[in-house]
Amino acid sequence: MLDNIKKEFSTRTLVLIPIAIAINIAIGELVVRLKLPVYLDSIGTVLVGALAGPWAGALTGALANLIWGLFNPFAAAFFYVAAVIGLLAGLAGKRGAFENESPRWLSVLVGAVFVFSLTMFILAFTNATTDDTGFTTYPSMAELFSSYAIIFVVAILVGAAIGYFLLQRGGYAGIWGLVTGVVAAIISAPTAAYVFGGVTGSGTDLLVAAFRASGGGILASVMAQGAVSDPFDKMLSFMVVWLILGSLPARFKAR
Amino acid sequence: MYVARESGLHRLHPLTKGSLSLLLLVTGLLLPGNWTSYFLVLFVILPVAYWGKILRNFIGIVWGISLPFILSVVIIQSLFWGKGTPIFEFWIIAPKQEGAIFALVSVGRIILVMAGFILFAMTTRPDTLMISLKQVGVPSSLAYIIVTTLQIIPRFQSKAFTILDAQRSRGLETEGNILTRARALVPIILPLVLSSLVEVEERAIAIEARGFNSKKEETSLIEIPDTNGQIILRRVFIVITILTIIARVTWQLLK
Repeated sequence: MLDNIKKEFSTRTLVLIPIAIAINIAIGELVVRLKLPVYLDSIGTVLVGALAGPWAGALTGALANLIWGLFNPFAAAFFYVAAVIGLLAGLAGKRGAFENESPRWLSVLVGAVFVFSLTMFILAFTNATTDDTGFTTYPSMAELFSSYAIIFVVAILVGAAIGYFLLQRGGYAGIWGLVTGVVAAIISAPTAAYVFGGVTGSGTDLLVAAFRASGGGILASVMAQGAVSDPFDKMLSFMVVWLILGSLPARFKAR
Repeated sequence: MYVARESGLHRLHPLTKGSLSLLLLVTGLLLPGNWTSYFLVLFVILPVAYWGKILRNFIGIVWGISLPFILSVVIIQSLFWGKGTPIFEFWIIAPKQEGAIFALVSVGRIILVMAGFILFAMTTRPDTLMISLKQVGVPSSLAYIIVTTLQIIPRFQSKAFTILDAQRSRGLETEGNILTRARALVPIILPLVLSSLVEVEERAIAIEARGFNSKKEETSLIEIPDTNGQIILRRVFIVITILTIIARVTWQLLK
Protein backbone atom coordinates (compact mmCIF):
# COMPACT_ATOMS: atom_id res chain seq x y z
CA MET A 1 0.00 0.00 0.00
CA LEU A 2 2.65 2.51 1.07
CA ASP A 3 4.81 1.52 -1.89
CA ASN A 4 1.88 2.08 -4.23
CA ILE A 5 1.32 5.56 -2.81
CA LYS A 6 5.01 6.38 -3.20
CA LYS A 7 4.92 5.25 -6.79
CA GLU A 8 2.08 7.67 -7.51
CA PHE A 9 4.20 10.62 -6.43
CA SER A 10 6.93 10.52 -9.04
CA THR A 11 8.72 13.71 -10.05
CA ARG A 12 6.36 14.00 -13.00
CA THR A 13 3.33 13.86 -10.71
CA LEU A 14 4.82 16.52 -8.43
CA VAL A 15 5.30 18.77 -11.46
CA LEU A 16 1.85 17.98 -12.78
CA ILE A 17 0.00 18.94 -9.58
CA PRO A 18 0.73 22.72 -9.59
CA ILE A 19 -0.14 22.87 -13.28
CA ALA A 20 -3.39 21.03 -12.59
CA ILE A 21 -4.33 23.46 -9.81
CA ALA A 22 -3.60 26.41 -12.10
CA ILE A 23 -5.80 24.77 -14.77
CA ASN A 24 -8.62 24.43 -12.21
CA ILE A 25 -8.53 28.13 -11.46
CA ALA A 26 -7.98 29.31 -15.05
CA ILE A 27 -10.90 27.28 -16.44
CA GLY A 28 -13.06 28.18 -13.43
CA GLU A 29 -12.58 31.85 -14.27
CA LEU A 30 -13.04 31.30 -17.98
CA VAL A 31 -16.44 29.73 -17.31
CA VAL A 32 -17.42 32.76 -15.26
CA ARG A 33 -16.28 35.03 -18.12
CA LEU A 34 -18.41 33.05 -20.60
CA LYS A 35 -21.35 33.27 -18.14
CA LEU A 36 -22.04 29.55 -18.15
CA PRO A 37 -24.16 28.06 -15.36
CA VAL A 38 -21.54 25.48 -14.30
CA TYR A 39 -18.34 25.57 -12.22
CA LEU A 40 -15.93 23.25 -14.09
CA ASP A 41 -13.30 24.10 -11.48
CA SER A 42 -12.07 20.56 -10.90
CA ILE A 43 -10.87 19.54 -14.37
CA GLY A 44 -7.22 19.66 -13.28
CA THR A 45 -7.97 17.58 -10.19
CA VAL A 46 -9.76 14.93 -12.25
CA LEU A 47 -6.88 14.97 -14.72
CA VAL A 48 -4.29 14.22 -12.02
CA GLY A 49 -6.52 11.46 -10.63
CA ALA A 50 -6.82 9.92 -14.08
CA LEU A 51 -3.13 10.21 -14.96
CA ALA A 52 -1.40 9.58 -11.62
CA GLY A 53 -3.83 7.81 -9.30
CA PRO A 54 -6.32 8.31 -6.46
CA TRP A 55 -3.90 9.58 -3.78
CA ALA A 56 -2.31 12.13 -6.07
CA GLY A 57 -5.82 13.20 -7.15
CA ALA A 58 -6.92 13.60 -3.54
CA LEU A 59 -3.85 15.68 -2.67
CA THR A 60 -4.40 17.88 -5.74
CA GLY A 61 -8.02 18.53 -4.79
CA ALA A 62 -7.25 19.36 -1.17
CA LEU A 63 -4.31 21.65 -2.02
CA ALA A 64 -6.23 23.35 -4.83
CA ASN A 65 -8.98 24.47 -2.47
CA LEU A 66 -6.62 25.36 0.39
CA ILE A 67 -4.45 27.50 -1.89
CA TRP A 68 -7.51 29.07 -3.47
CA GLY A 69 -8.57 29.77 0.11
CA LEU A 70 -5.77 32.34 0.33
CA PHE A 71 -7.88 34.44 -2.05
CA ASN A 72 -11.35 33.10 -1.25
CA PRO A 73 -11.79 31.44 2.17
CA PHE A 74 -15.09 29.89 1.05
CA ALA A 75 -13.24 27.38 -1.13
CA ALA A 76 -10.91 26.35 1.69
CA ALA A 77 -13.81 25.16 3.86
CA PHE A 78 -14.63 22.55 1.20
CA PHE A 79 -11.12 21.17 0.72
CA TYR A 80 -12.21 17.69 1.83
CA VAL A 81 -14.88 17.60 -0.89
CA ALA A 82 -12.27 18.40 -3.55
CA ALA A 83 -10.03 15.67 -2.10
CA VAL A 84 -12.83 13.10 -2.45
CA ILE A 85 -13.45 14.23 -6.05
CA GLY A 86 -9.76 13.65 -6.87
CA LEU A 87 -9.83 10.29 -5.09
CA LEU A 88 -12.88 9.10 -7.04
CA ALA A 89 -11.37 10.32 -10.31
CA GLY A 90 -8.28 8.26 -9.50
CA LEU A 91 -10.36 5.16 -8.79
CA ALA A 92 -12.23 5.75 -12.06
CA GLY A 93 -8.88 5.96 -13.85
CA LYS A 94 -7.76 2.69 -12.30
CA ARG A 95 -10.92 1.02 -13.58
CA GLY A 96 -10.13 2.33 -17.08
CA ALA A 97 -13.06 4.77 -17.21
CA PHE A 98 -11.01 7.29 -19.17
CA GLU A 99 -9.55 4.81 -21.66
CA ASN A 100 -12.33 2.43 -22.58
CA GLU A 101 -15.08 3.58 -24.89
CA SER A 102 -18.54 2.69 -23.73
CA PRO A 103 -21.24 1.41 -26.07
CA ARG A 104 -23.55 4.24 -27.05
CA TRP A 105 -26.69 2.58 -25.66
CA LEU A 106 -25.09 2.69 -22.21
CA SER A 107 -24.65 6.45 -22.46
CA VAL A 108 -28.30 6.80 -23.48
CA LEU A 109 -29.39 4.67 -20.53
CA VAL A 110 -27.26 6.63 -18.04
CA GLY A 111 -28.54 9.97 -19.31
CA ALA A 112 -32.16 8.83 -19.13
CA VAL A 113 -31.89 7.33 -15.63
CA PHE A 114 -30.10 10.43 -14.33
CA VAL A 115 -32.54 13.05 -15.63
CA PHE A 116 -35.45 10.80 -14.60
CA SER A 117 -34.30 10.49 -10.98
CA LEU A 118 -33.43 14.18 -10.83
CA THR A 119 -36.94 15.07 -11.98
CA MET A 120 -38.50 12.71 -9.45
CA PHE A 121 -36.34 14.19 -6.72
CA ILE A 122 -37.33 17.77 -7.52
CA LEU A 123 -41.02 16.93 -7.89
CA ALA A 124 -41.03 15.02 -4.60
CA PHE A 125 -39.52 18.06 -2.97
CA THR A 126 -41.83 20.67 -4.45
CA ASN A 127 -44.90 18.55 -3.66
CA ALA A 128 -43.98 17.91 -0.05
CA THR A 129 -46.47 19.18 2.48
CA THR A 130 -45.61 20.35 5.99
CA ASP A 131 -48.33 20.18 8.66
CA ASP A 132 -48.64 22.44 11.70
CA THR A 133 -46.38 20.31 13.88
CA GLY A 134 -43.57 20.76 11.37
CA PHE A 135 -43.75 17.16 10.13
CA THR A 136 -43.02 16.90 6.42
CA THR A 137 -44.77 14.32 4.25
CA TYR A 138 -43.49 13.48 0.82
CA PRO A 139 -45.83 12.27 -1.91
CA SER A 140 -45.67 8.59 -2.86
CA MET A 141 -44.12 7.59 -6.18
CA ALA A 142 -47.46 6.39 -7.53
CA GLU A 143 -49.01 9.81 -6.88
CA LEU A 144 -46.13 11.53 -8.64
CA PHE A 145 -46.27 9.25 -11.67
CA SER A 146 -50.02 9.65 -12.12
CA SER A 147 -50.02 13.43 -11.84
CA TYR A 148 -46.83 14.18 -13.78
CA ALA A 149 -46.73 11.38 -16.37
CA ILE A 150 -45.94 13.72 -19.27
CA ILE A 151 -43.09 15.44 -17.44
CA PHE A 152 -41.50 12.08 -16.69
CA VAL A 153 -41.72 10.98 -20.34
CA VAL A 154 -40.12 14.27 -21.41
CA ALA A 155 -37.40 13.84 -18.75
CA ILE A 156 -36.53 10.36 -20.02
CA LEU A 157 -36.37 11.62 -23.61
CA VAL A 158 -34.23 14.63 -22.68
CA GLY A 159 -31.93 12.38 -20.64
CA ALA A 160 -31.60 9.91 -23.49
CA ALA A 161 -30.77 12.75 -25.88
CA ILE A 162 -28.14 14.12 -23.47
CA GLY A 163 -26.68 10.63 -23.21
CA TYR A 164 -26.60 10.15 -26.97
CA PHE A 165 -25.19 13.50 -28.03
CA LEU A 166 -23.20 14.65 -25.01
CA LEU A 167 -21.91 11.49 -23.39
CA GLN A 168 -21.41 9.75 -26.76
CA ARG A 169 -18.85 7.00 -26.24
CA GLY A 170 -17.62 8.39 -22.92
CA GLY A 171 -20.33 6.65 -20.94
CA TYR A 172 -17.99 5.17 -18.34
CA ALA A 173 -16.37 8.55 -17.56
CA GLY A 174 -19.83 10.11 -17.50
CA ILE A 175 -21.16 7.56 -14.99
CA TRP A 176 -18.18 8.09 -12.69
CA GLY A 177 -18.67 11.85 -12.97
CA LEU A 178 -22.34 11.56 -12.01
CA VAL A 179 -21.55 9.33 -9.02
CA THR A 180 -18.78 11.71 -7.93
CA GLY A 181 -21.19 14.65 -8.18
CA VAL A 182 -23.77 12.90 -5.99
CA VAL A 183 -21.12 12.07 -3.38
CA ALA A 184 -19.82 15.65 -3.49
CA ALA A 185 -23.33 17.05 -2.99
CA ILE A 186 -23.92 14.83 0.03
CA ILE A 187 -20.62 15.44 1.83
CA SER A 188 -20.48 19.18 1.18
CA ALA A 189 -24.01 19.86 2.48
CA PRO A 190 -23.25 19.66 6.25
CA THR A 191 -20.48 22.29 6.00
CA ALA A 192 -22.56 24.51 3.74
CA ALA A 193 -25.53 24.28 6.10
CA TYR A 194 -23.70 24.60 9.42
CA VAL A 195 -20.93 27.07 8.63
CA PHE A 196 -22.47 29.17 5.86
CA GLY A 197 -26.15 29.00 6.80
CA GLY A 198 -26.92 27.09 3.60
CA VAL A 199 -25.85 29.67 1.04
CA THR A 200 -23.03 29.90 -1.49
CA GLY A 201 -23.35 33.60 -2.30
CA SER A 202 -23.96 32.76 -5.96
CA GLY A 203 -26.80 32.06 -8.38
CA THR A 204 -27.49 28.55 -7.08
CA ASP A 205 -28.88 30.18 -3.92
CA LEU A 206 -32.12 30.70 -5.85
CA LEU A 207 -32.49 26.91 -5.82
CA VAL A 208 -31.97 26.81 -2.05
CA ALA A 209 -34.61 29.51 -1.66
CA ALA A 210 -37.03 27.51 -3.83
CA PHE A 211 -36.52 24.34 -1.80
CA ARG A 212 -36.84 26.21 1.50
CA ALA A 213 -40.06 27.81 0.30
CA SER A 214 -41.48 24.38 -0.55
CA GLY A 215 -40.90 23.19 2.99
CA GLY A 216 -37.46 21.55 2.97
CA GLY A 217 -35.21 21.72 6.03
CA ILE A 218 -31.94 23.64 5.77
CA LEU A 219 -29.69 20.60 5.37
CA ALA A 220 -32.12 18.92 2.97
CA SER A 221 -32.44 22.07 0.85
CA VAL A 222 -28.68 22.47 0.56
CA MET A 223 -28.34 18.81 -0.37
CA ALA A 224 -31.09 19.18 -2.95
CA GLN A 225 -29.38 22.22 -4.44
CA GLY A 226 -26.14 20.26 -4.67
CA ALA A 227 -27.92 17.25 -6.16
CA VAL A 228 -29.24 19.44 -8.96
CA SER A 229 -26.00 21.26 -9.82
CA ASP A 230 -23.10 19.00 -8.76
CA PRO A 231 -23.68 15.74 -10.71
CA PHE A 232 -24.10 17.59 -14.01
CA ASP A 233 -21.03 19.71 -13.35
CA LYS A 234 -18.84 16.75 -12.40
CA MET A 235 -20.14 14.72 -15.34
CA LEU A 236 -19.01 17.51 -17.67
CA SER A 237 -15.60 17.71 -15.93
CA PHE A 238 -15.03 13.96 -16.28
CA MET A 239 -16.14 14.12 -19.91
CA VAL A 240 -13.71 16.95 -20.68
CA VAL A 241 -10.86 14.93 -19.13
CA TRP A 242 -11.94 11.93 -21.19
CA LEU A 243 -11.73 14.13 -24.29
CA ILE A 244 -8.32 15.50 -23.28
CA LEU A 245 -6.86 12.06 -22.64
CA GLY A 246 -8.22 10.90 -25.98
CA SER A 247 -6.20 13.58 -27.78
CA LEU A 248 -2.98 13.09 -25.79
CA PRO A 249 -0.09 11.33 -27.51
CA ALA A 250 0.19 7.71 -26.34
CA ARG A 251 3.80 8.41 -25.29
CA PHE A 252 2.61 10.79 -22.56
CA LYS A 253 0.02 8.44 -21.11
CA ALA A 254 2.45 5.53 -20.95
CA ARG A 255 4.26 7.14 -18.02
CA MET B 1 -3.41 39.12 -0.46
CA TYR B 2 -0.29 39.73 1.66
CA VAL B 3 0.07 43.33 2.87
CA ALA B 4 3.59 44.35 3.91
CA ARG B 5 3.69 46.32 7.18
CA GLU B 6 6.16 46.75 9.99
CA SER B 7 4.31 45.23 12.91
CA GLY B 8 4.66 42.71 15.68
CA LEU B 9 2.02 40.55 14.05
CA HIS B 10 3.96 40.44 10.76
CA ARG B 11 7.12 39.46 12.61
CA LEU B 12 5.45 36.51 14.38
CA HIS B 13 6.42 33.05 13.22
CA PRO B 14 3.98 31.93 10.45
CA LEU B 15 3.02 28.80 12.37
CA THR B 16 2.11 30.86 15.44
CA LYS B 17 -0.34 32.85 13.31
CA GLY B 18 -1.57 29.68 11.63
CA SER B 19 -2.31 27.93 14.92
CA LEU B 20 -4.05 31.07 16.22
CA SER B 21 -6.32 31.13 13.14
CA LEU B 22 -7.05 27.42 13.55
CA LEU B 23 -7.85 27.93 17.25
CA LEU B 24 -10.24 30.80 16.44
CA LEU B 25 -12.03 28.80 13.73
CA VAL B 26 -12.44 25.66 15.85
CA THR B 27 -13.57 27.42 19.03
CA GLY B 28 -15.85 29.82 17.16
CA LEU B 29 -17.62 27.04 15.30
CA LEU B 30 -17.68 24.32 17.98
CA LEU B 31 -18.18 26.04 21.33
CA PRO B 32 -21.82 26.22 22.44
CA GLY B 33 -23.65 29.53 22.34
CA ASN B 34 -25.02 31.35 19.33
CA TRP B 35 -22.87 34.44 19.65
CA THR B 36 -19.41 32.95 20.28
CA SER B 37 -18.30 33.82 16.76
CA TYR B 38 -19.28 37.50 17.12
CA PHE B 39 -17.45 37.62 20.45
CA LEU B 40 -14.25 36.21 18.93
CA VAL B 41 -14.37 38.55 15.93
CA LEU B 42 -14.93 41.66 18.08
CA PHE B 43 -12.63 40.93 20.99
CA VAL B 44 -9.85 38.85 19.43
CA ILE B 45 -9.60 39.17 15.65
CA LEU B 46 -10.17 42.93 15.33
CA PRO B 47 -7.69 43.87 18.11
CA VAL B 48 -5.09 41.52 16.58
CA ALA B 49 -5.66 43.09 13.14
CA TYR B 50 -5.24 46.54 14.73
CA TRP B 51 -1.97 45.37 16.28
CA GLY B 52 -0.90 44.21 12.79
CA LYS B 53 -1.65 47.74 11.43
CA ILE B 54 -3.94 46.31 8.75
CA LEU B 55 -7.30 47.04 10.39
CA ARG B 56 -8.72 49.30 7.65
CA ASN B 57 -7.74 47.04 4.70
CA PHE B 58 -8.71 43.99 6.69
CA ILE B 59 -12.26 45.15 7.41
CA GLY B 60 -12.68 46.18 3.78
CA ILE B 61 -11.62 42.81 2.39
CA VAL B 62 -13.55 40.71 4.93
CA TRP B 63 -16.66 42.78 4.30
CA GLY B 64 -16.26 42.59 0.51
CA ILE B 65 -15.87 38.81 0.50
CA SER B 66 -18.59 38.11 3.07
CA LEU B 67 -21.25 40.47 1.71
CA PRO B 68 -22.79 38.19 -0.98
CA PHE B 69 -23.06 35.37 1.59
CA ILE B 70 -24.57 37.66 4.20
CA LEU B 71 -27.19 39.08 1.82
CA SER B 72 -28.06 35.61 0.59
CA VAL B 73 -28.37 34.01 4.01
CA VAL B 74 -30.41 36.87 5.49
CA ILE B 75 -32.84 36.93 2.56
CA ILE B 76 -33.24 33.18 2.17
CA GLN B 77 -33.38 32.13 5.81
CA SER B 78 -35.63 34.89 7.11
CA LEU B 79 -38.09 35.07 4.21
CA PHE B 80 -38.27 31.36 3.34
CA TRP B 81 -38.20 29.90 6.83
CA GLY B 82 -41.52 28.04 6.65
CA LYS B 83 -43.42 27.78 9.95
CA GLY B 84 -42.58 30.39 12.57
CA THR B 85 -43.55 33.65 14.27
CA PRO B 86 -43.66 36.44 11.69
CA ILE B 87 -41.96 39.72 12.61
CA PHE B 88 -44.29 41.69 10.32
CA GLU B 89 -46.48 40.82 7.37
CA PHE B 90 -46.66 42.82 4.19
CA TRP B 91 -48.32 41.20 1.15
CA ILE B 92 -46.36 37.93 0.67
CA ILE B 93 -43.32 39.18 2.59
CA ALA B 94 -43.31 37.78 6.12
CA PRO B 95 -39.88 37.29 7.68
CA LYS B 96 -39.89 34.84 10.60
CA GLN B 97 -38.22 35.46 13.95
CA GLU B 98 -36.65 32.00 14.09
CA GLY B 99 -35.25 32.49 10.58
CA ALA B 100 -33.83 35.89 11.38
CA ILE B 101 -32.03 34.51 14.45
CA PHE B 102 -30.63 31.61 12.41
CA ALA B 103 -29.48 34.08 9.76
CA LEU B 104 -27.73 36.24 12.36
CA VAL B 105 -25.95 33.20 13.82
CA SER B 106 -24.86 32.17 10.31
CA VAL B 107 -23.62 35.68 9.52
CA GLY B 108 -21.39 35.47 12.61
CA ARG B 109 -19.96 32.14 11.51
CA ILE B 110 -19.40 33.34 7.93
CA ILE B 111 -17.56 36.45 9.11
CA LEU B 112 -15.51 34.38 11.57
CA VAL B 113 -14.35 31.89 8.89
CA MET B 114 -13.53 34.62 6.37
CA ALA B 115 -11.80 36.83 8.97
CA GLY B 116 -9.78 33.95 10.43
CA PHE B 117 -8.37 32.99 7.03
CA ILE B 118 -7.82 36.52 5.80
CA LEU B 119 -6.03 37.63 8.97
CA PHE B 120 -3.51 34.86 8.35
CA ALA B 121 -3.22 35.44 4.60
CA MET B 122 -2.77 39.21 4.94
CA THR B 123 0.10 39.03 7.42
CA THR B 124 2.03 35.98 6.22
CA ARG B 125 4.30 35.90 3.19
CA PRO B 126 3.75 32.61 1.30
CA ASP B 127 7.49 31.89 1.04
CA THR B 128 8.12 32.27 4.78
CA LEU B 129 5.15 29.97 5.40
CA MET B 130 6.76 27.34 3.19
CA ILE B 131 10.14 27.58 4.88
CA SER B 132 8.58 27.30 8.32
CA LEU B 133 6.58 24.25 7.21
CA LYS B 134 9.79 22.63 6.00
CA GLN B 135 11.43 23.37 9.36
CA VAL B 136 8.78 21.38 11.21
CA GLY B 137 9.24 18.41 8.89
CA VAL B 138 6.73 18.82 6.06
CA PRO B 139 8.26 17.10 2.98
CA SER B 140 9.96 19.56 0.64
CA SER B 141 8.02 18.15 -2.33
CA LEU B 142 4.81 19.48 -0.76
CA ALA B 143 6.46 22.85 -0.27
CA TYR B 144 7.54 22.77 -3.93
CA ILE B 145 3.93 22.15 -5.06
CA ILE B 146 2.51 25.05 -3.05
CA VAL B 147 5.18 27.59 -4.02
CA THR B 148 5.07 26.64 -7.70
CA THR B 149 1.29 26.83 -7.76
CA LEU B 150 1.29 30.35 -6.33
CA GLN B 151 3.83 31.39 -8.95
CA ILE B 152 2.14 29.94 -12.03
CA ILE B 153 -1.51 30.81 -11.34
CA PRO B 154 -1.28 34.34 -12.83
CA ARG B 155 0.55 32.98 -15.89
CA PHE B 156 -2.15 30.40 -16.50
CA GLN B 157 -4.94 32.91 -16.13
CA SER B 158 -3.40 35.14 -18.79
CA LYS B 159 -2.69 32.07 -20.96
CA ALA B 160 -6.37 31.07 -20.86
CA PHE B 161 -7.46 34.52 -21.94
CA THR B 162 -4.78 34.66 -24.66
CA ILE B 163 -6.17 31.42 -26.10
CA LEU B 164 -9.69 32.84 -25.82
CA ASP B 165 -8.64 35.92 -27.82
CA ALA B 166 -6.73 33.83 -30.37
CA GLN B 167 -9.69 31.54 -31.03
CA ARG B 168 -11.98 34.56 -31.24
CA SER B 169 -9.80 36.09 -33.93
CA ARG B 170 -10.16 32.83 -35.83
CA GLY B 171 -13.92 33.30 -35.73
CA LEU B 172 -14.94 31.41 -32.58
CA GLU B 173 -18.29 32.65 -31.27
CA THR B 174 -18.02 33.43 -27.56
CA GLU B 175 -21.14 35.51 -27.23
CA GLY B 176 -24.76 34.76 -27.93
CA ASN B 177 -27.06 32.15 -26.47
CA ILE B 178 -25.98 29.62 -23.90
CA LEU B 179 -25.36 26.82 -26.43
CA THR B 180 -23.00 28.98 -28.47
CA ARG B 181 -21.07 29.97 -25.37
CA ALA B 182 -20.90 26.37 -24.15
CA ARG B 183 -19.61 25.22 -27.52
CA ALA B 184 -16.76 27.75 -27.25
CA LEU B 185 -15.36 25.93 -24.19
CA VAL B 186 -13.75 22.92 -25.88
CA PRO B 187 -11.58 24.89 -28.38
CA ILE B 188 -10.23 26.87 -25.41
CA ILE B 189 -9.82 24.13 -22.83
CA LEU B 190 -8.09 21.62 -25.11
CA PRO B 191 -5.19 23.88 -26.23
CA LEU B 192 -4.76 25.19 -22.68
CA VAL B 193 -4.51 21.75 -21.10
CA LEU B 194 -2.53 20.06 -23.88
CA SER B 195 0.12 22.81 -24.04
CA SER B 196 0.40 22.73 -20.24
CA LEU B 197 0.91 18.98 -20.21
CA VAL B 198 3.78 19.32 -22.66
CA GLU B 199 5.42 21.56 -20.06
CA VAL B 200 5.33 18.78 -17.46
CA GLU B 201 8.11 16.84 -19.18
CA GLU B 202 10.45 19.85 -19.39
CA ARG B 203 9.87 20.90 -15.81
CA ALA B 204 10.40 17.38 -14.48
CA ILE B 205 13.75 17.09 -16.23
CA ALA B 206 14.73 20.60 -15.11
CA ILE B 207 14.14 20.02 -11.40
CA GLU B 208 15.67 16.55 -11.43
CA ALA B 209 18.80 17.99 -13.00
CA ARG B 210 18.94 20.43 -10.05
CA GLY B 211 19.00 17.68 -7.47
CA PHE B 212 15.30 17.73 -6.54
CA ASN B 213 15.37 14.07 -5.49
CA SER B 214 18.52 14.45 -3.40
CA LYS B 215 18.25 12.86 0.04
CA LYS B 216 20.74 15.30 1.62
CA GLU B 217 19.45 17.67 4.26
CA GLU B 218 18.48 21.04 2.80
CA THR B 219 19.52 24.44 4.03
CA SER B 220 17.64 27.68 3.50
CA LEU B 221 18.84 31.17 2.66
CA ILE B 222 16.14 32.80 4.77
CA GLU B 223 16.03 32.06 8.49
CA ILE B 224 12.66 32.48 10.19
CA PRO B 225 13.08 33.98 13.67
CA ASP B 226 11.39 31.91 16.35
CA THR B 227 11.31 32.34 20.13
CA ASN B 228 10.73 29.92 22.99
CA GLY B 229 7.71 31.98 24.03
CA GLN B 230 6.11 31.44 20.61
CA ILE B 231 6.85 27.71 20.66
CA ILE B 232 5.03 27.41 24.00
CA LEU B 233 2.19 29.65 22.75
CA ARG B 234 1.72 27.44 19.66
CA ARG B 235 1.57 24.31 21.80
CA VAL B 236 -1.03 25.91 24.07
CA PHE B 237 -3.15 26.95 21.04
CA ILE B 238 -3.03 23.46 19.58
CA VAL B 239 -3.83 21.75 22.89
CA ILE B 240 -6.87 24.02 23.38
CA THR B 241 -7.97 23.33 19.79
CA ILE B 242 -7.77 19.56 20.29
CA LEU B 243 -9.50 19.76 23.69
CA THR B 244 -12.34 21.81 22.16
CA ILE B 245 -12.85 19.22 19.43
CA ILE B 246 -12.81 16.34 21.94
CA ALA B 247 -15.22 18.18 24.29
CA ARG B 248 -17.63 18.93 21.46
CA VAL B 249 -17.57 15.36 20.12
CA THR B 250 -18.16 13.76 23.55
CA TRP B 251 -20.92 16.28 24.33
CA GLN B 252 -22.57 15.46 21.01
CA LEU B 253 -22.30 11.71 21.70
CA LEU B 254 -23.73 11.98 25.23
CA LYS B 255 -26.69 14.05 24.09
